[in-house]
Amino acid sequence: MIIIGEKINGSIPSAAKAIAERDEAYIRELARKQSESGADYLDVNAGTPPDIERETLAWLIGLVQDEVDTPICIDSSNPETILEMIPLVKKPGMINSVSDEANKCERLFPHVASGEWKIIALTCDDRGIPAAPDRKFEIAGAIMKKADSFGIAQDRIFFDALVNTVGTTPLAQVSFTEASRRIKEAFPGVHLTSGLSNISFGMPCRKAINQCFLTLAMNSGLDSAIMDPTNSDMRAALYATQVLLALDEDCVDYLSAYRGGLFGVPKKP
Amino acid sequence: MSELLKEISENLQIGKAKIVAELVGRALSEGIPPQKILDDGLLAGMGIIGAKFKANEVFVPEVLVAARAMNKGTEILKPALAAEGISAKGKAVIGTVKGDLHDIGKNLVKMMMEGRGIEMVDLGVDVPPERFLEAAKEHGASIVCCSALLTTTMGEIKNVVELIKSSDIAGKVKVMIGGAPITRAYCDQIGADSYSPDAASAAEAAEALIS
Repeated sequence: MIIIGEKINGSIPSAAKAIAERDEAYIRELARKQSESGADYLDVNAGTPPDIERETLAWLIGLVQDEVDTPICIDSSNPETILEMIPLVKKPGMINSVSDEANKCERLFPHVASGEWKIIALTCDDRGIPAAPDRKFEIAGAIMKKADSFGIAQDRIFFDALVNTVGTTPLAQVSFTEASRRIKEAFPGVHLTSGLSNISFGMPCRKAINQCFLTLAMNSGLDSAIMDPTNSDMRAALYATQVLLALDEDCVDYLSAYRGGLFGVPKKP
Repeated sequence: MSELLKEISENLQIGKAKIVAELVGRALSEGIPPQKILDDGLLAGMGIIGAKFKANEVFVPEVLVAARAMNKGTEILKPALAAEGISAKGKAVIGTVKGDLHDIGKNLVKMMMEGRGIEMVDLGVDVPPERFLEAAKEHGASIVCCSALLTTTMGEIKNVVELIKSSDIAGKVKVMIGGAPITRAYCDQIGADSYSPDAASAAEAAEALIS
């Protein structure tokens, strides 16, 4: 599993406060803790109004790179902002995200076509965020066509088939996994990821739903997640599912994560 | 008679749409005034759901089924309300701003406002400022509700506020705003009329604005 740590995000109230107060220590700690917990990329989202988004992101990126070596995932819905941040990042990471909205692919693909940048691609377009698997799949196809035309290899694309909220869309998980399966079938080289927690919006005990969703989605080929790697419940579900899907040979990762205290409470001798 | 209205409210709260429709029909045939059925039956029930939602006692799926039950009841009631010339308390247009495709919050606000007896015109997502203005004029709405989930699109809310405040319906139409990145400070800064942190509060605020 390729884990994208989601915690440095100004739409999370505690992070927003730290960003507003330019609390360096807090941001550094978020970066370090997520890296220690196994994050492969650290998502960085300013969560500020557009007029101060760029300076805020630049400040965050500088801090994170100074604290850890984990690659950065530049997160903005504005492709121009992403383009301005790319030169500030020391080593190729991820861009989050493109979709089939407006000219996002056309704007970003030329700048990342050569090189190692990974790309998160969302299955939405100017018509909205579809709930139906057919439409999700159709949009993925349109994005893939554009990626192909720029010579971007499949394994650099991380499709997020945008899971809906199960509280309002009963088929949220079913549609997500069906769309993800079909995307993987059609484009076997791509990765499948998900901003998992959207599924449980408006529900009590969200972690129960998030954990089970992670498991079901991994069973359908999800090989990446945008999540809180410091949350031990989610990590337990992740490592256990890897074992059950025979993705963790000899349970090596599960056991070392357990010994490292990433989840579970070790029994006293 | 009040027993029947109480039954309507109670069944609405647990989402029994069919029963609510039947009970509304019975209330009408018993000669209970339609306005009373609406206020003391349907809207009373949704009011309780709204308060419980705000207090984290009921959750999104439960609000949805209650709203569905209310709509079933309203369908039965509508002809009777129309016959007596009773119109909605007020009218509001609602939409997610340009560049933003998120509609869960917007839909919840819409439901909660309907639950307060306000007629809602839903413009959907990715709504440009001009569309908010046109729709407010076309429908004679007294409130425009703008939602944004992204920090990069919240600036569009300001564009809506500016367009409406500089139009010929300025002063006649209030602009309510909300969404994850929105704060009261932002509301004050851009000169919107009202900010609400959640759907139930938004409905309360809307009711206060039109009364």
